Amino acid sequence: MKGVNGIVLEVNLTTRSISKVKIKEDDYRLFLGGRALGMKLLSDYLKKPGTDPASDENPLMFMPGLFCGFPIPNSSRTCMVTKSPMTSPLKSTHQHASTVSYSNMGGFIGPEIKFAGYDGIVIIGRSTVPVYLYIEDEVVEIRDASQFWTMGTNQFETAIISEVGDRRFETAYIGSGAVNGVLYSSVINTGARAAGRGGTGYVMGTKKLKAIVVRGTQMPEVYDHKQYVELLKQVRLSFAADSQSKTDWRYGGTANALQFSSDRGSQAVKNYSEGTFSEIEKINVHAARQQVWKRDMACYSCQLSCKKSGFAKGAYGGLVNEGIEYETGTMLGANLLVNDLNGLHTMIEIADDYGIDIITLGNVIGFLMECYDKKLIDKSFLDGIDLTWGNVDASIQLIHQIGKNVGIGKEASRGVKHLASVIGKGSSDFAIHVKGHELAAWNVQGYAKGFGISYTTANRGACHMTGGEISGQNLSVLRDSMGMCSFASAWYKDEVHFRHFIQALTGIDLTEEAFQQTGERMFNLERALNCREGFTRMDDVLPERFFKDAYTIGPQKGVKLEKVDFDKMMDDYYTRRGWNLQSGIPEPETLQRLELAFLQ
Amino acid sequence: MNRKSFLQHLGLAAGSTAFLSVTGGATHFFTAISGTKAIVVDYALCTGCRTCEAVCSASNHKIDIEGQLFHGQGNPALSNIKVWRYHPPADIPVTCFLCADAPCVAACPVKPDPVSGHKALYRDAALQTIKCDLNRCIGCQSCSDACKTERGQVIFPDDEGSPTGMCTLCHGDPQCVQWCPYQALSFLEITPDMPFREMHPDAIAIEMQGNFYELNIQKQ
Repeated sequence: MKGVNGIVLEVNLTTRSISKVKIKEDDYRLFLGGRALGMKLLSDYLKKPGTDPASDENPLMFMPGLFCGFPIPNSSRTCMVTKSPMTSPLKSTHQHASTVSYSNMGGFIGPEIKFAGYDGIVIIGRSTVPVYLYIEDEVVEIRDASQFWTMGTNQFETAIISEVGDRRFETAYIGSGAVNGVLYSSVINTGARAAGRGGTGYVMGTKKLKAIVVRGTQMPEVYDHKQYVELLKQVRLSFAADSQSKTDWRYGGTANALQFSSDRGSQAVKNYSEGTFSEIEKINVHAARQQVWKRDMACYSCQLSCKKSGFAKGAYGGLVNEGIEYETGTMLGANLLVNDLNGLHTMIEIADDYGIDIITLGNVIGFLMECYDKKLIDKSFLDGIDLTWGNVDASIQLIHQIGKNVGIGKEASRGVKHLASVIGKGSSDFAIHVKGHELAAWNVQGYAKGFGISYTTANRGACHMTGGEISGQNLSVLRDSMGMCSFASAWYKDEVHFRHFIQALTGIDLTEEAFQQTGERMFNLERALNCREGFTRMDDVLPERFFKDAYTIGPQKGVKLEKVDFDKMMDDYYTRRGWNLQSGIPEPETLQRLELAFLQ
Repeated sequence: MNRKSFLQHLGLAAGSTAFLSVTGGATHFFTAISGTKAIVVDYALCTGCRTCEAVCSASNHKIDIEGQLFHGQGNPALSNIKVWRYHPPADIPVTCFLCADAPCVAACPVKPDPVSGHKALYRDAALQTIKCDLNRCIGCQSCSDACKTERGQVIFPDDEGSPTGMCTLCHGDPQCVQWCPYQALSFLEITPDMPFREMHPDAIAIEMQGNFYELNIQKQ
């Protein structure tokens, strides 16, 4: 088949065997690549439900999207796919039941995996000693990583390039957080581009795999070369035209949304108790642009350069590898009532160096701040840290305890669901997670239809990238499977639709209807795998906070969710999905229609 | 390159003018043949997207379909411009500087052809680009070594040791310049005030990291 490499690299770290696994043409047709192809492979590897995510049997996959490596603008995205170490159902007969996990990153690692001749890398088994995986086209070696094992991400990135002696290698790695056993650890590539969510870095740590280091020199032939060249030209021309959207992305990336979201009352503020942050101007995009950011950075073949680096001044001064984004700026800023822009950048920097997920981290700190404020816990519970709202120094101390997994960090490194079970006293009402995975920076009150549904129905536990509309959810997993950046969709319409690129690369000719159905199939595959573990409708629930605590400030003041209304929305959702209204499990006819009968 | 060899090369390159560059990581002499146009990079604007690599590769490795030439797939491994990434974050695209003294050509040990007067590696008269006659190249890697140690490490040996990576200027219409999404690349006549001429990317990176992050990095 054209347009793909046709194989994934399988590396067994227990037996140290390396093999190439051929992918069936039908699997490309049904799942394209990236996230969904990874999920199909996951369903093949996980023979039975209840596999321990930290065991030899749980595969960890690096899955570049179908377009990855082709210079199609903004198509560098790569998914980590594994079984989640973070989630659990309310009830299950399987001890280690958990959802699927996926986490998406941009950068350069995915294209390089494709250049090396693979459509993905699957790690199975576990090494007894720290190793890294070295890949140079056909050459694949499992190498000793003892001297790198405990390094933070900044030090490691420099050290590994010195080790291999060639800057053309691309790398993906874990920081010391994963090494120390922080459950919500990320996989990071190329200077703070993180597959942040879902604990994929933790799984990598359990396999004693510090990094993959890849260089490749090949590219597969495409199915219709003339069409491919023409489409590339058209889409580049469309990006080249001036547009406000392009200007905005380059100016501020997702941080543009900090002010907007606060203004309309949809931001996670003070552990999700409010939707508006009164001091947002101090940490918004304009403040960052003027005071901290120096550079715009792009992923492979990216036209929008939303990533920023710079330099923070003052007491928290220093190098900023990763400027604030909407998520990081909200979760460690507004959600903690932190109004110090330099301090905020420093907190992000420290968390990135440990390689831990800042969305969950912001939840954990916010949750503990609220517990401390409400006197459910005292200073001694927090190793003496005076964790008051907005306190940057205290937050930094706590991040270090978490990253090192010591003291309070031993509990806090497991997320808010676990913390609530330790603290009790009704704290679970404001432990902001779904299925054990924390919510992201978009608040729910007043925006239930969008984000409420996104959080409850997302297949990795709470996820802000899933979307509240079924068609949007299907497109979201399609994008992750093609490797497309979700910010670039506006430039792919009409004659340069994603479908046309799929056709030119592979010959897979999808009608608009078939394209939509491919996304539906992908989403249902994940759902069916979760249901096999024991997840049902009763796990698709939001924290109590959203039904109890109305906002006290902002344009949405007084707003909270009503259970009856939300249940009705969920009823409607399951019905339109073709899932059983009571159990939330995909009906056999639904799986049959989507060519997923193998999951029954 | 020291002052002595610089002056020697200057003597060999008729029609050249010499400039003293103090804007780089180290004091550095460079030369230019009057009217020579080259790819010039504004390192403050580069975002590291590597679109230039893909279009360079596609433009210089065309595919013949039924007798008609089309741009290739865009494999960056075949590109003549390379974006080098550094940490703290700096992305440094480097392609052939078209050095007037061409240490790569000087290093080529192959005797000049009696008719053309060219060594295996030679400067093409039309655009001043560096070309290799693969029929006569002996694969000794002297040119790539010279470029690596004296200039920007632009030339890389292929499997047979023959040089790759010399900029062709796409016959006068450089595609990297045309398609750079961030206007970081220009096709300009070389002038004395241009910073970072003929420098190794490592040295350019140190300079740019210092600018971006107010780092007090010791200059090499």
